[in-house]
Amino acid sequence: MRILTFLGSRVLFALITLTGASLLVFIALRLVPGGFADVVLGPFVTPEAREILTARFGLDQPVWVQFVKWFLALFQGDLGTSLVTQQPVAAELLRRLPVTAELAFLSLLFALSLGLPLGVASATASTHGGGRFGRMVGALGASVPDFVLGSLFIFVFSVWSLGLKAGGYTPLAEDPIENLLGMILPAVTLGVFGMALILRTTRDAVLTVLTEGYIAAAVARGDTPRQILRHHVLRNASVLVLTVSATYFGYLLGGAVIVEVLFSVPGVGFYIYSGLLNRDYAVVQGGVLFVAALFVLLNMLVDLAYVLIDPRIGASRSQQ
Amino acid sequence: MRSLTQALRRFAAGDRLAALALGVLCVMLFLGVFGPWLPLGDPTKLAAGPRLSPPSWEFPFGTDELGRSFLPRVVEGIRYTFLLASMAVAITAVLGTLLGMLAAYLGRFVDQAVARFADLLFAFPPLLAGLLVAAVAGPGALSVIAVISAATLPLFIRVIRSASLSLAERGFVIAAEVAGASTWRILIRHILPNVMSAAIVQLTYALSIAMIIESALSFLGLGEQPPRASLGTLLRVSSVYLTIAPWLVGFAGIVLSLAIVSVNLLGDGLRDRVDPLRGRPLT
Amino acid sequence: MSALVEAQDLDLIYAGETGPVQALDGLDLTLGAGDTLAIVGESGSGKSTLGLAMGRLLPPEAERRSGSLTIAGTPVFEAKQEEVRRLRRETLGFVFQNPMSALDPTMRIGRQVARACGRAASENHVQGLLARAELEAPEQLVRRYPHELSGGMAQRVVIAMAIARGPALLVADEPTASLDVSIRAKVMATLLALQRESGASLVLLTHDLHLAARHCQSLAVMYAGRIVETGPSAAVLSRPGHPYTKGLLAAAAGNEAPGEALQPIPGLPPMLHKPAKDCSFAPRCPYVERRCQELRPGARLLGRKQVACHFAERLLAGDER
Repeated sequence: MRILTFLGSRVLFALITLTGASLLVFIALRLVPGGFADVVLGPFVTPEAREILTARFGLDQPVWVQFVKWFLALFQGDLGTSLVTQQPVAAELLRRLPVTAELAFLSLLFALSLGLPLGVASATASTHGGGRFGRMVGALGASVPDFVLGSLFIFVFSVWSLGLKAGGYTPLAEDPIENLLGMILPAVTLGVFGMALILRTTRDAVLTVLTEGYIAAAVARGDTPRQILRHHVLRNASVLVLTVSATYFGYLLGGAVIVEVLFSVPGVGFYIYSGLLNRDYAVVQGGVLFVAALFVLLNMLVDLAYVLIDPRIGASRSQQ
Repeated sequence: MRSLTQALRRFAAGDRLAALALGVLCVMLFLGVFGPWLPLGDPTKLAAGPRLSPPSWEFPFGTDELGRSFLPRVVEGIRYTFLLASMAVAITAVLGTLLGMLAAYLGRFVDQAVARFADLLFAFPPLLAGLLVAAVAGPGALSVIAVISAATLPLFIRVIRSASLSLAERGFVIAAEVAGASTWRILIRHILPNVMSAAIVQLTYALSIAMIIESALSFLGLGEQPPRASLGTLLRVSSVYLTIAPWLVGFAGIVLSLAIVSVNLLGDGLRDRVDPLRGRPLT
Repeated sequence: MSALVEAQDLDLIYAGETGPVQALDGLDLTLGAGDTLAIVGESGSGKSTLGLAMGRLLPPEAERRSGSLTIAGTPVFEAKQEEVRRLRRETLGFVFQNPMSALDPTMRIGRQVARACGRAASENHVQGLLARAELEAPEQLVRRYPHELSGGMAQRVVIAMAIARGPALLVADEPTASLDVSIRAKVMATLLALQRESGASLVLLTHDLHLAARHCQSLAVMYAGRIVETGPSAAVLSRPGHPYTKGLLAAAAGNEAPGEALQPIPGLPPMLHKPAKDCSFAPRCPYVERRCQELRPGARLLGRKQVACHFAERLLAGDER
């Protein structure tokens, strides 16, 4: 029963958050000073254009009716229609999601492959008074903003062509090698912060586990450091690392605006940013909600995955 | 609170890295506050030198696209970056501490409501929230502050909540309850002093995140509007000339990164003192 | 054949921010193979430090100043890392106070016990070991996680893991203190049965004089980092030769006459920052005289006991204060 309550509460929380997010995004766009129509259409507006817009968005109806209609449409996957291209926003976003997902995946890969070992090494070294290198790398990586790092890469790789491409996107289906060469720099630019994040999280998680009694017990049994790390430390520390990795991945799915703009990667962030520049508010509204929903769902999935990792949640199932 | 003063006192002796970071921050704060009265040059004087000239004796950081000396521009950028970030973090600290304590102390419905509120804020990546706010309220300092506060609030609430949670059950709080102290009095007099060190550590981390978000929003053109310029704004403008005047991006980028890394190292050092995490050696 | 455990003039401190704390202050101890010894003392007396020192399990801030500790011929403080690990694996078995924290919460019992057995332990072997620790239905138990066990069951699992490789020395630090009162005796009985069965020596660290005397042949009383009295349990208990032992006995429940109140020892154990030159118990001692503050009493053999007190003879002769 406990596990069902746990799963149920996670799903319920996610639904509450999603509803709240959609309400927030809806209200935000109603708050536009000067009225939605004025902002969208600009100062030189004909009464006819205003009427068309009013009819299309139901702006003459009470606000709550507008919200309910919009909210119900969300459930059918309708995030609105672009004011500029007249394309459905949801379809446009889904078309760009794989690009962003690839970038996010590569960044996470980079972050994990460096952050995990460095974090573990830094934690074990710090029990002997060391670990300064890991701490320094962690602080540096968490501090250099992605656009500074990105600018540096662009400068270096545009002055001296070193095989990688800075800017210029090739679709994966067209040429996987070219695609990868173009994706490496944006992925590393994004991944450095994640590397630092995962390094610090891993370090803290490992250090916390190292204070536990079962670690002392394993040492007392004569296990080697390697055995203890492999059998006891990593698994127990993984819960926290998984949570942070998932949050980071969710952040990458929507937060890659700067890197996508900097390296001209046609992903979700780039699309929403151009929406803002084109005063295409339907795109901004739909896009932000889309990303928030992805983030919430991803975190919910991670919560559910705890059941598999931590038997204190999962084992109640086998007891019944 | 006492543990924190002790922590600060032993700081310089025990933790060179954090002490160095504190020194760098002090220099930057000094420059930010007193910059206009220092003999660094006029940041607003157009065509003070040739356009986009490399660093020289006269213009240590070179000149920008309008021939302004870049050094005083960077100093001005430090001022705006710190100003916006710390204003936003101040709001976060007050709101976050209050909400975190209330959630922990009152529990039940309030706890749930605060947790869902934090989830909600957490669901919006800061830069996208920035895009949304810019769409609604237009770009500018206020939008930046709102976005930063919203982004740093959830973490703050969670840290303060868990720090307060163990306190709510402790003897001195229960004793105060029995003696008939009001909720406010218990929060301010009994719980607040004990979550202070956790709050201050979290404050430094929030400040580093705030500086990153501020500069990122400014870089996208959603922050401070010209002629005022934070470090992010300077980077935005300079990045156009990246290949012909790379030193502009270089100086602004280095100063910004140095500021953020100092805040982070300071936070690490403080945390090591307040809440040392010492695992057991495996040998 | 030399003794299994031999400590000589062991002097050990913990380095702290406010200066060193003397944990062991000239400690001498000898234990033969198959012997059972209870080390009794208040918290802070250094008994846990001694227990951990036997496996060189002390935290990094601990520092041995002088003296030696030898276990089964291995000099514990001088040995190489790998030798110490072999000592822990093959010669020592530890049972700690809190069984719940000694088990990995994310690993099934079967796998944890198998890992304690060493390479390639069969399922049957693991279950047999659990059965020896008087755990019921081991075939189901191996698939459980620690949080599904009661405290008593968990401690039996820990005991099974401690004897898994047939150690020559079991070190049990308050093995039953965290358990329900109703099952303490049973768990203790299991521990002793397994110890006798395997012929291992036992060092039992406890604050409970009566538990110590009931289960162990000999008894050592620790105070401020050294052993103040040691000898056969019955002899120590029936006629204590040190004022501290006497005080502990008077303060322990169970042997007061009807209507008689328990007598606490006045004062607190000292926190030493360097080796003591006087008798550390002097400030709390009802027998104290001038020379107690001037000369630290060495351990003297009196009958079958060793006592470190200037007035041991008077106490043994029945001097009451």
